[in-house]
Order: sequence, then C-alpha cells, then structure tokens
Amino acid sequence: MASLTDHLSDLVADVDAALLFSPTSSFYERFANDGSEVVVVAPDNDVDAETFVELPLPFDNVKDRIRFGIEGAMDADLVSEGDEVACVTSVFEGGSDAIVRVTVDESVHTGIFDLFANSRAEPSVIRDVFEVAIELGQKGQKGKPVGALFVVGDAGKVMNKSRPLSYNPFEKSHVHVGDPIVNVMLKEFSRLDGAFVVSDSGKIVSAYRYLEPAAEGVDIPKGLGARHMSGAAITRDTNSTAIVLSESDGLVRAFKAGELVLEIDPEEY
Amino acid sequence: MSAVQTALSEFASTVPDRIWLALFVLLVGLVLAYLVGVVNRRLLRRAGVPEVIEGTAFERTAREFDTSTVRILAQLSSYFIVAVAVIVALTVADVNYLEQFWSGVAAFLPRLFVAAVVLIVGVVVGDKAELLVAERLRGIKLPELGVLPTLVNYSVVYVAALIALGQVGVQTLALIVLLAAYAFAVVLFAALATKDLVASAAAGVFLLLRQPYGIGDEVRVAGERGVVQEVDLFVTHIETDGEEHVLPNHAVFREGIVLIRE
Repeated sequence: MASLTDHLSDLVADVDAALLFSPTSSFYERFANDGSEVVVVAPDNDVDAETFVELPLPFDNVKDRIRFGIEGAMDADLVSEGDEVACVTSVFEGGSDAIVRVTVDESVHTGIFDLFANSRAEPSVIRDVFEVAIELGQKGQKGKPVGALFVVGDAGKVMNKSRPLSYNPFEKSHVHVGDPIVNVMLKEFSRLDGAFVVSDSGKIVSAYRYLEPAAEGVDIPKGLGARHMSGAAITRDTNSTAIVLSESDGLVRAFKAGELVLEIDPEEY
Repeated sequence: MSAVQTALSEFASTVPDRIWLALFVLLVGLVLAYLVGVVNRRLLRRAGVPEVIEGTAFERTAREFDTSTVRILAQLSSYFIVAVAVIVALTVADVNYLEQFWSGVAAFLPRLFVAAVVLIVGVVVGDKAELLVAERLRGIKLPELGVLPTLVNYSVVYVAALIALGQVGVQTLALIVLLAAYAFAVVLFAALATKDLVASAAAGVFLLLRQPYGIGDEVRVAGERGVVQEVDLFVTHIETDGEEHVLPNHAVFREGIVLIRE
C-alpha cells in the first residue's frame, strides 16, 4: 500500500491550488482551515467559500466539468497559465472520489466556460439546445445524417436580420427547448431548410428562417459550408450563439461573435 | 363426567340470554375493531401516506416512541370501535346503574374521536406544509424569510385545533374572531403586495394568447421604442441600442401598443 500512498502524494506534490467540485461543507472546512489555496466549483455557493466558480450545469462528463472549472478559475484570475492544480471531484454518484492533476495552459481553454457563462441566453437553454443537436447527430433523422442550425439568444435582432422561407410552424405557440416532446418536434422539423431561432429564455421563436447577416470578413475554418458560414456570421452581427450540426462530418460546433468556440463529436459524447 | 355436564348446563341456563348476547356483541366488536385497524393501516400505506409525511416532526416523535403516524391513526379507529362495542354490549346487557353517564359518553365518543383525528391530521399537515415551504425558500438565502414556514405550520395547526375544540363542544368564538382577523390581514397584505403582479399576469395571458406583437417586432410601448426580445407572463423585454427595457405587462396593456411598420 505504501506505493499507492506515495503515488498519491506525488500527484498532489506542490500544486498551486486545489479545485473542489461541489464539496460538502465539512469537507471544505478541512481544506479552508488548512490554509491551502482552494477554489470551490459548484452550482451554488453553499459553503460560503471566498473563491467560487459557478457551475451552471452538473456536467456528467468529468473532463468537461474539470475544463469548465479551470476556465472559470482562469477567467476570475484565481489560477494563471502554468499553474498546477489538483481537482477533487466525483466520477461516480456520491461524494468526492477522484483527484486529477492538471496543468493550466491555453490548450485547456476550449471556450466552454465562455460559451455557457457569458452568453446572452441562459446556460440551461444552451445546454438543452446542445443536447438536441448532439442527439440529432448521433441518431440522425430516421437513420440518415442531417444538418441543423440553431441560433440561440438575442432573438429580436436575429428575427430582424432574417426572413421566413415558409410559414413558421412555431407561430403562436409557446414551446420551450428542453421539453421532451418539443425535442422530438425539433428533430422532425430538422428536415426543413433554414435555421431555428430560440430566444434567451428558451422559447422557440421560429423555424424556416433564412439568415441574412453581413458575412464579409467572417473567418471560419476552411471546408465548412454555407450553414456554418451563415451561423457564424449571424453571431457576429448579433449577441446570439449559433449551434450547428454539420451534415457532412456530423460534428456539433458552436459559434460566438463570429468565431468557432467549441467542437464536439456526438459519437464521443 | 355427566355430573359436570349437568352442572355446566345448569350454569348456562341461569345466565340470562341478554348477557350472552352482550358477550357476542363485544366479541364481534373486538374482531371488527381489529379488522378495521388492519384495513385502515393498509389503506393509508397504499395511499402513500408514510412517504408523504416522512420527516415531519410528528412522525419523528412517533418514531421515537417506536410507533408511526399510520399506526396511531389505525389504532385510534380500533379503539373507537371497541368503545362503541362496549357501550352497545352494556346497553344490551341492560346494566341499569349509571345509565345517564353511559348515554352521555355514547353521544360524546364519536365527537372525541373526530376531534383526535382532526388534531393529528392538522399537526401532520402543518409539519408537511412547513417542510414544503422551507424547501421552496431554500434557494433564496434570506434569513428574514425563515419565519414564514413556521407561520404556515402554526396557521394550519391553529385551524385544526379550532375544528377539534368545536367538535368537543368548547366555546371557540373568541378564537374564531382571532382567526378571521388574521385571515383578513393575510388576504389584505397579499392583495396589496401582489396587485401589480396579478394585473400583469392577466394582461400577460392576453398577450400570449392573441400575440398582438411577437419576438422581433418593432414596437413602442409605454414610451419605450425598440425590438421585442421576450414576452412572458409578467413582463415584456424591449431592446434598443444597448438598452433593454423590462416592462410589466399591465403597463403594456394600460398604455397601449404601437406597432411600427416601415
């Protein structure tokens, strides 16, 4: 057992900070009284920690959760590049059961924190749209791969910078993303051309929208098609976030302020 | 052997029929009480009562005495039936003395039973309401709101106690006056506090149903001109360059809407 303990002390040797993910208050107090630098990452600041990063979603994927915590801590200048941090988190249900050592650098910075925390729309709305896009990417529409474009947030401006391609099936309806039935509807409507417009609070404003942003000077990776281009361009013209499912390579990408901020493979999610 | 038998039959014949009947009634009453107790307990369990009242103060106290609320209620109904059976048996047996007393008890017993049940239900419901309110308020970390759950609990218990006292025939007029004053204060306070919210919600229902304007329309409402970003039950968000106005829906309704078309 000695070697196991040795390995553990190697793992936490001279770390600059410890990130505690959703700690219990007694657990946190043991750290706080110790005098070491701790950052609490949790949905609510239940333990009244001084250094606290809000976690808008629970993040089942531990990698994403840790990334989010580190980016949030970087954003608040709690850790800086080159720091070594130890993340105490829970992999399975229940209490903290894992310690992960991470070196903070720009490669950790995927923009996931920025996407959720600094978007105009509510974090849960962005998560719900992401989930629909990912599910659509995994299963496709009746087995065939489909593409989809969701523009989330700042819906008033987006509506003024787009025009309808046909009658809006969501006219006079009050449906919100995240509702299981609505998710099925969205998947069915994904065969329609054009973009879905979702408001800040998650209301589905319209389908069938043809986006008309000024696309000049929008710089997105080569090889992406018209759907990605219009999605990226609308986020530069407005304060919205575009979540795009590619029909050709099946990846889900998020754009903000005209730039690609996140790329996820639905198969790995 | 035959001597014993004749002695027994002689003893049986000396006991009047009424006594036998009374004993029979008592026996039936006991069996019935047991059955009702069991059925009651099962019904309450099946209705999910133990899960609902889990964690209330009354249930916890009951647990400390190695029983549970469901068991107490079931036993109470059993005792009630036993008591009725005893009274019926005594009447059948025609026990003459203390007749006045027993008739008084017979009239009083059902009311006492109802009073006890109402009191227990009231205490349990009060505890549960306190728990629910406290849970709802937990997200809002405001220490001043801590008195609200307790207030809800005591209000429910107070009403239950009032009903119970009324059942057993205690004068409760003063207490009822107190309750009325309290209820009036609560209603008045709630009406004053939520006047604008209720008006907004009523206007919001109309706006959501008829949609005179939708997200993306340019409108002028209550002196603010801009693009509609969001309409919900209580407020409308209207945005102009860098400014987002959050207008209560009753203001939208009162001042009218100007749709701007170019």
